[in-house]
Amino acid sequence: MRSSPTFVLTLAALKMWFRDRQALFWSLFLPLLLMVIFGLMNFGSLGRVDLGVVDLADNQESQGMLAVLGAIEALDIVTEVDRPSARAALEQGDRDLVMVIPQEFGSSTQPLTLEVMYNDSRPRESQVGLAVLRQVTDELTFQFSDASRLFVIEAAPVASRDLRYIDFLMPGIVAMAIMQMGLFSVAFAFVQLKRQGILRRLLATPVRPVSFLFAQVVTRLTVSILQTGVLIGVAVLFFDVHIAGNLLSIFLLALVGGAVFVSLGFAISGWAKSEEVAAPIANVIALPMMFLSGVFFPREAMPKMLQSVTEYLPLTYLADSMRSVAIDGATLWSQWVGLAGLAAWLAISFVLAITLFRWE
Amino acid sequence: MTDSPHANGAIIEVEDLHKSYGSLEAVAGVSFSVQKGEVFGILGPNGAGKTTTVEILEGMRPPDRGTARVDGIDVQSDPRRVKSIIGIQLQASAFFDKLNLAEILQVFGSFYQKRVNPQTFLHDVELEDKAKSLYKNLSGGQKQRFSIATALVNDPLVLFLDEPTTGLDPQARRHMWELVQRFKEEGRTILLTTHYMEEAEELCDRVAIMDAGKIIALEQPQVLVDRLLGRGFHKEHVERLANLEDVFLDLTGRALREG
Repeated sequence: MRSSPTFVLTLAALKMWFRDRQALFWSLFLPLLLMVIFGLMNFGSLGRVDLGVVDLADNQESQGMLAVLGAIEALDIVTEVDRPSARAALEQGDRDLVMVIPQEFGSSTQPLTLEVMYNDSRPRESQVGLAVLRQVTDELTFQFSDASRLFVIEAAPVASRDLRYIDFLMPGIVAMAIMQMGLFSVAFAFVQLKRQGILRRLLATPVRPVSFLFAQVVTRLTVSILQTGVLIGVAVLFFDVHIAGNLLSIFLLALVGGAVFVSLGFAISGWAKSEEVAAPIANVIALPMMFLSGVFFPREAMPKMLQSVTEYLPLTYLADSMRSVAIDGATLWSQWVGLAGLAAWLAISFVLAITLFRWE
Repeated sequence: MTDSPHANGAIIEVEDLHKSYGSLEAVAGVSFSVQKGEVFGILGPNGAGKTTTVEILEGMRPPDRGTARVDGIDVQSDPRRVKSIIGIQLQASAFFDKLNLAEILQVFGSFYQKRVNPQTFLHDVELEDKAKSLYKNLSGGQKQRFSIATALVNDPLVLFLDEPTTGLDPQARRHMWELVQRFKEEGRTILLTTHYMEEAEELCDRVAIMDAGKIIALEQPQVLVDRLLGRGFHKEHVERLANLEDVFLDLTGRALREG
């Protein structure tokens, strides 16, 4: 066993992979970096509302109202110099709303008009801002008029599944990392081995080509498990991502996905004569999938036509199944569509690899 | 080498070998045999069919016609068994660039189901202090010597050297010659190709000169020279007692220039 060529070659291939800084960068550090950078952004939440205030009254009452507004979490309050500059800031898109507090504020018991200008191109933020302002002025009216309330709202929070962007992103990044590793590390490594004459030297020994291929495939599949482990580990430890599904199922999906993309990598390396040709081919396959397979944003955001086509991409099958199992806690067998899709792609890419791959 | 070439028995037997690439007949009916312990050279200009002939013997390319046997094993019917008893230094080869020399030798040992001590083989080719080096960081001569070390891991019955000194500087070439001489003294059978006549004269017991896919002469080098002289050949210029290479080596020294 210890001196069997398959075993020794597999160990050597693993050693070589971990000594290859480029491979490590592309397969581990880049996906990790992407996940951390995008994970720190929370695209899902509503942006804060920027409220500019022109305080013409500048008295105790107006200060009191500003203090109330300032305590509201959703608002970012900016004190404006005067009306024209406030309007300009609004037109620039730097504010969502601008409120003008008239000079008579607090000193008059007559109904007063508070002028509010809002940014028409940010309707969500403007509406939230307007609603908050109405509520605050209503509260003030109650305080001033001493009228009794007809309705009181009693709000109680209910804990619900809070799906953040990182929860959506993590399984997609895992799938993407496996794709990149399979396509690029196999395609590049084999084109290089061929071009430098290393494969030829191996063919001059009695080692069976199958032993060598086996070592390469096992190495890549090991790496796909490692990628999955590292990315999930970081997501759980640093981003509080909760893995709802079975870890074993996730790793199994990683292996199946790894096999699909490793086979595609072999097909590319059979076709390409040099690294200069292998790189664009691998990119032409990988780049569109990165954006069309729902790695960074849900495919539901795409036009219907595009959705129905991208549904069949191998990366879509992998990313969707991973997401369902990891985040939604689905069982592996409920993902039979994804698994069948991956199996179909495995068959296609295996046939491609067998037909295109050449030792010399 | 005045013994009869058949005294030790043939280890390589080639009969009427043919190989064509498209309409080009690279090897057109080649027959010869190599004796145990012999250093046999195949000479010829580029495109003469040397490399194709050797690749057929190495089990890397099937012949169209004819037979080749190494130690009695037919290379076409059992190339793997032939590969397991020979050692090959390829003209242009490289090795894994992320493994050091010792690790590469261990991997190569495993191809022959052997656990090898890398130091033994590095010592054989005078690279014992390079165990932790990477192949790509070796000098040209060191690369060729390492390539030979990988061909020795299975203690081969025949060592194939394909243009072992092409591209080497005079010092490294002489170093390689000394190495081949030593293998020869150890009783190894060596089949080498070269297009340096001086190299063939220095190292080979017998040479086969190939041209256009055929062997046009097969003899001991000295016999070929005597035969030419016997036909009344003489060079235009009288042979000087030294040549430019001697001057070069005298000025730069015979010592190797590699680390």
